[in-house]
Amino acid sequence: MSSPSSTISVNTATSTPGHRVLVIARHEYRAAVRSRILIVLLGILVVATAASVFIASAEYAGRLADYQAYRAAAEAGGVARIAPSPLAPLSLLRGAMEYLEIIGAVVAIALGYLSVSRERSNRTLPLLLSRPVTPTELAAGNLLGALGVIATLVAVTAVVAMLCVGFIGHDWLNGIQLFKLALAYVAAVAYMGVFYCVGAIAAAKSKVAITGLMIALGIWLVVVLVLPQIGDTLDADNQIPGGLFAALGLGHDGEVRILAHFTTYETIRTSIETASFAKHFERFAFAMTDVKERFRSLSLPDLFFQVRTDIAWILAYSIVLVIGLLRAFRKQPTVPQGGQQ
Amino acid sequence: MITTFASQQIQSLRRQRIFVALLIALLAMTAVAGVLGWSSHNTITRVYDEAVRLLAADGKPAPPNPFLLKPSLSLLSNMVVYIPLLGALLALVLGHLSLADDEADGVGRLIFSRPVSRTHYVAGKLFAVASVLAAALAGSLLVGIGSLLVVNRAVPAITDLGRLVVFYGLSWLYLMVFALVGMIAVLMTRRTSLALLSAMGVWLVITFAVPQFTSGLRPTESLNPITNPVSTSQRFFQITAFARPYSVAEQYKAASSHILNLVTAEPVAQTIQRVLPIAVLVTSLAIVTLVLVERHDFSRSSSNE
Repeated sequence: MSSPSSTISVNTATSTPGHRVLVIARHEYRAAVRSRILIVLLGILVVATAASVFIASAEYAGRLADYQAYRAAAEAGGVARIAPSPLAPLSLLRGAMEYLEIIGAVVAIALGYLSVSRERSNRTLPLLLSRPVTPTELAAGNLLGALGVIATLVAVTAVVAMLCVGFIGHDWLNGIQLFKLALAYVAAVAYMGVFYCVGAIAAAKSKVAITGLMIALGIWLVVVLVLPQIGDTLDADNQIPGGLFAALGLGHDGEVRILAHFTTYETIRTSIETASFAKHFERFAFAMTDVKERFRSLSLPDLFFQVRTDIAWILAYSIVLVIGLLRAFRKQPTVPQGGQQ
Repeated sequence: MITTFASQQIQSLRRQRIFVALLIALLAMTAVAGVLGWSSHNTITRVYDEAVRLLAADGKPAPPNPFLLKPSLSLLSNMVVYIPLLGALLALVLGHLSLADDEADGVGRLIFSRPVSRTHYVAGKLFAVASVLAAALAGSLLVGIGSLLVVNRAVPAITDLGRLVVFYGLSWLYLMVFALVGMIAVLMTRRTSLALLSAMGVWLVITFAVPQFTSGLRPTESLNPITNPVSTSQRFFQITAFARPYSVAEQYKAASSHILNLVTAEPVAQTIQRVLPIAVLVTSLAIVTLVLVERHDFSRSSSNE
C-alpha cells in the first residue's frame, strides 16, 4: 500500500514552535484519515455504536409509549400524584460508551502505532529531525493531530447516538443532558488520547515497530478487558447465578452487615478495579449518561463530587502518558529496524 | 516436506519473544482463573458462615449452603472468558507470525525459487500453528488441573477431567479460527501492521459486534462467562436471532458452559450443533488460506515496499 503522500512543509526560518507543532498536527490528521486500516476500524466503531444505540432506542420507544399512555390515563382519571418517568434517555448510550471503551482504545492504539511507524518506514523521520524540529515538537504535533482525529470520531458517534435517541427513541435530549453527554465525550477523548500515547510509546520504544503494536495490544487487553473482569468476578454477590445474597435470603441490609466483615477483601477487589484506567473512564461516563440509577437524581456539582476520584485518575494517567510520549520520541530510533513495519 | 516446514516454523516461533510472552500470559491467566476460583470458594464459605450467624441472631433458620449450588468445575469458569480474549490474541499473533516473517524477510521468495509444493507449504504452516496452539492449551489444561488439585485438595473426578479435555479441545478449534484469520490477513494485505490490525478488527467484530446484533449483548456483557440473550420480543431481534447459531463467539461460550457443566444441562446433540458452525468456519478458512497461498506473489515482500 502506498503511504500517505501528505508532506510537512515547515518554513524553519520564520516559523515558531507553535506553528511547527500545528503543521505537524495537520499532517498527522491528514495522514490518519487517509489510512485505510484506520478508516476500517473507525467504521467498525461507528457502525457498532450506532447499532447499539439503535437497538436500545427501539426498545426505549416502546417503554416511553407505555409510560405516556399511563400518564394520559392517569391525567384523564384525575389522579393527583402521577409517578415520574423512570426512563433515562441518556442511559441508551451505555453501549456506545462501552464500544468507545473497548474498540475506541484499539483505534487509538492503532493511531499511535501508525504515527511512529509511518515516519520510520517511509524513512522521513531522519529527514524531519534534520530540520530544526525538536522531538518534543514532533510528539506534541502528532498528539495534537491524533486528538483532532479522535475528537472528530467521538463527535460523529455522539451526533449519531443523539439522533438515534431522538428519531428512534422519540425522546430528544435537553440542555443539561447534552452538557452531560458532552462531558462524557470529552472524557472519551482523554481516554482514547491515553491509549494513543500507549500505542505511540510502545512503537517508539521498540526496535521493530510491530512488536510495539503487539505489546500495546497486550496492555490494552489487560487494562480494558482482564482487570475489570477480575474485579467483577471477585464481587461476593456475583459468585452464584442470581446473586449470592439472594440465594441466602438476605436483603440489602443483611448484605451490608455481612460485607462489613469483608473490608480487606473488598479493598483488594476495588484496588484491582482501580488499577484499570478503563474502569475510571467507565465510571465517569456511566455517571454522566445516567446509566447508574443512583446518579440520576444528582445535580452536576454532586455528580462531580461522586466521580472526583475517577476524574483525578483520568487526569493523572493523561499527564503521565503525555510525559512518557515526549520522552519516548526523544529516544526513538530514526530508521526502520528488523525488516518489518 | 510438510514436517520440515512445520518444524522450521515451530523453531522460529520458539525464538519469537513476543509469542513466548503471550504464551506465558495465557498460562498465567489460567493460574489467575484458579486463584479467582479459590477466592470465590473461600468467599462463599465465609459469607455463608456469617449469614448463618446473622440469621440465627434474628431467630431465622439457616439457608442451604449455596456452595452446593456451584458446579465442581466452576473454579475454572473464567477460562471461558480468558480463552476468547487472551487465547484469541495469542492465536492471531501466532497465525500472523507464521506467514509475516516469510513475507517480510524474503524467505517466501527464496522457498518458492525451489520446486516446492505450495500445498505442502500451507499444510506445514497449518500443522505448526495447530500443534503450537494445542501445546499452549495443553499447558493451560495442566495448570487448570493443578489449580483444581490445590483448591479442592482432591484429584478431579474422571468425568470432570473428561469435561476439561473436551473444553480445551473445543477451545483449540475456536482459536484456530483466529490463527487462520491472522494468516489470511497477512496474505491479503501488503503491510504486516495492516495485517495485524485487520485481524484485530475481525476479532473485535466476532467477539463484540456480532453478539450485539444477534443477542443484544452489550460489549461488557460478552465478558461474563454466562450470558443471557435479550428476549426476542423486539422485531429487530426476531430477525437477527436467526443468525445467532452462526455467531461463533456466542456458540463457543454456550457450548463451553454446557461442557463444563456451568449451566443447566442440554442434550449432547444440541452442544454438538453449537460446535458445528465453528468447525465449518475453520474448514472454510483453511481452504481460503490454501487458495490465497496458491495465488500469492511471494516475489513481493514487505521489505522492498
